[in-house]
Amino acid sequence: MALDWKNLSFPRQILPTIAVVGLLGAAAFILAGLPDRTLSDPAREPPHAPADLAAQPRVAGSGVVEPSSETVQIGSPLSGLVTRLLVEPGDRVGEGQLLFALDDRAVRAQLREAQAAILEARAAIAEAQSARATAGRQLALYRQVEDPAAVSRAEVIRAEGDANAASERLRLAQARLQAAEARAGSARTEIDRLSIRAPMAGEILAVNIRKGEFVSTMGGGGSQPFIEMGQTSPLHVRIDIDEEQAPRLRLGAPATVSPRGAADRQVEAVFVRAEPQVVPKRSLTNSAAERVDVRVLQVIYQLPETNGLFRVGQQVDAYIPAKGDEE
Amino acid sequence: MLWIAIRMLTGDAQKFYGLVFGIAFSTLLITQQLTIFVNLIERGASGVYNVSSADIWVMDPVSRTTDIAYAMPATALDKVRSVEGVAWAVPHIRAQASVRTGDGDLEGVAVIGVDDATLIGLPKRMLEGSTEVLEQPDSVIIDDVGATRMFPDQSPIGERLELNDQRAVIRGIADAIPSFTSTVVLYTKYSQALNYVPGTRNRLSFVLVGAEEPAQAKALSERIEHETGLKAQTRDEFAKDGIDFIIENTGIPFNFGITVALGFIVGVAIVGLTFSLFIRDNIKQFGALKAIGVTNAKIRRMVAVQAGLVGLIGYGLGVLGTILFIWGFASNPTFKGFYIPWQIPLISLASVALILALTGWLALRNVLRTEPASVFR
Repeated sequence: MALDWKNLSFPRQILPTIAVVGLLGAAAFILAGLPDRTLSDPAREPPHAPADLAAQPRVAGSGVVEPSSETVQIGSPLSGLVTRLLVEPGDRVGEGQLLFALDDRAVRAQLREAQAAILEARAAIAEAQSARATAGRQLALYRQVEDPAAVSRAEVIRAEGDANAASERLRLAQARLQAAEARAGSARTEIDRLSIRAPMAGEILAVNIRKGEFVSTMGGGGSQPFIEMGQTSPLHVRIDIDEEQAPRLRLGAPATVSPRGAADRQVEAVFVRAEPQVVPKRSLTNSAAERVDVRVLQVIYQLPETNGLFRVGQQVDAYIPAKGDEE
Repeated sequence: MLWIAIRMLTGDAQKFYGLVFGIAFSTLLITQQLTIFVNLIERGASGVYNVSSADIWVMDPVSRTTDIAYAMPATALDKVRSVEGVAWAVPHIRAQASVRTGDGDLEGVAVIGVDDATLIGLPKRMLEGSTEVLEQPDSVIIDDVGATRMFPDQSPIGERLELNDQRAVIRGIADAIPSFTSTVVLYTKYSQALNYVPGTRNRLSFVLVGAEEPAQAKALSERIEHETGLKAQTRDEFAKDGIDFIIENTGIPFNFGITVALGFIVGVAIVGLTFSLFIRDNIKQFGALKAIGVTNAKIRRMVAVQAGLVGLIGYGLGVLGTILFIWGFASNPTFKGFYIPWQIPLISLASVALILALTGWLALRNVLRTEPASVFR
């Protein structure tokens, strides 16, 4: 049956051709249109257990990086205006180093008053000493007179009284000196208390006050601590373990820790201690409304030196070996 | 001889086109309705298929589908991570929220929070923008169908929304298969989603798990269930859960079942009637053929060839019609992601074969009984 264009029949040749071509096209369309449901690898590496733990019992937890001293929130014993601020976040300070100072003009005025009172008391002492010397000499003079008729009895009594009064005045002046010195001392203590110093060596983590601000010991005006500091070498990480997982934990084993967002940079952290108390899970999501009734065991690990990979307050994912089925 | 059969068939143009139309119409009806049916109920699994990298979904034991999920405490994530064989696990939140648009309208949206660090949980492809836009503050990514619904005739990029009194800026459009209800979907980071969705105690809807050995996902899901007490479903299982939920809770299978059955009945009726009329009209010719010594087997083959030609043309045109339908509506958001599963043309092929075999057999009975002498009557 040769193809003859003149005798080309629509139902016998063209229609079947259309049908076959249509079917082939349909098959291609259907195969090309099948949805792509293949699994793909995640574009960014998620946190995963380290290779040597992959096939072993393990416990996973999330945690927060903290200074090894925990975060110290520096307070102030007195209220007042901040007049000097000597540290910035990131500064390393030694123990006793001045952090900030409050307005001390009033106390310094008190100190000057006390110092003036000291001078006054010293002058009074000198005056009383000379008066006592004068009175003493006069009394001695009267006492040296042999002839009772030469000095009236009344004169002698007056001289004795003068001498006594002069030594009492001296004691009074000395007491006044001590009082003034004590006042000066307390003013100096007060001035010292207006200078806030570092309680230990460490790094300044946050400074929430500025020069000219009023700091209050009454707690009002926000609960932000004035300055936060802590010992950041080494850093610790506080890992929350679900209470249900806690009994499986192999205490003392090193943990594999990676920061959020850099799951490929895992470091090994050394066990420090487990907190004796199991506490309600602290919000890690920064949501004010989060109230989770799950309790967690907090385990503290020491991070190695990693050159800025971990920072205080950062969230981390951790994997810790678990007790196997050997028991 | 077979060529004679075909000439015999096409000689009567009226009946020939009637047969072709009958077959084409029932093929179109069966194929197209089944396609729409399958795609519609697979919308129930779109939430699962949109997440391209999770082998296993872990959820509360009472959760049923991606949209009906009971939240778990945040520590469920760590429990899952502790299971052997889990390569990685990330949190995933799915919740309903109300969004206030720029002109003050209120619209229900689904907020999907994906893992902050890895962005696992986003659809595979982006239509506009990149997934990195979520690094910017208050960013959300909208799905393409939602974008056309919420912002007809304008680009949603840069639009500001209000979610739970918080600012959300649309910075990207994701290429995702819409859900069964075509809810507008906003993708954002997990931590951001917690702020967008009004607070309840527990927020974590799902934990997405990558298996160390994806081939062993089923065994791993059983181990997760055993060790954590949570429900773990592999991707395919969870997709099936979503489909089953729609089958159980809607009248869709019943409605489409009726239409498919109608297609079959219409096909049988039209083709059966026309075919038997055609055979009866040609009974004299068959008689003549018998008279010159053509055997019954040969006649059977001739009728089979006739049926085959009608079937080929009708089926081809019917499938072509379905393809043109799906292709023509591909740009319509209602039909976004519709595809023809390869099984469906085979099902309609089987139906066509059944129709033709049935009607051919009925028509042939007369021919085979015909005496060669009848041609002379």
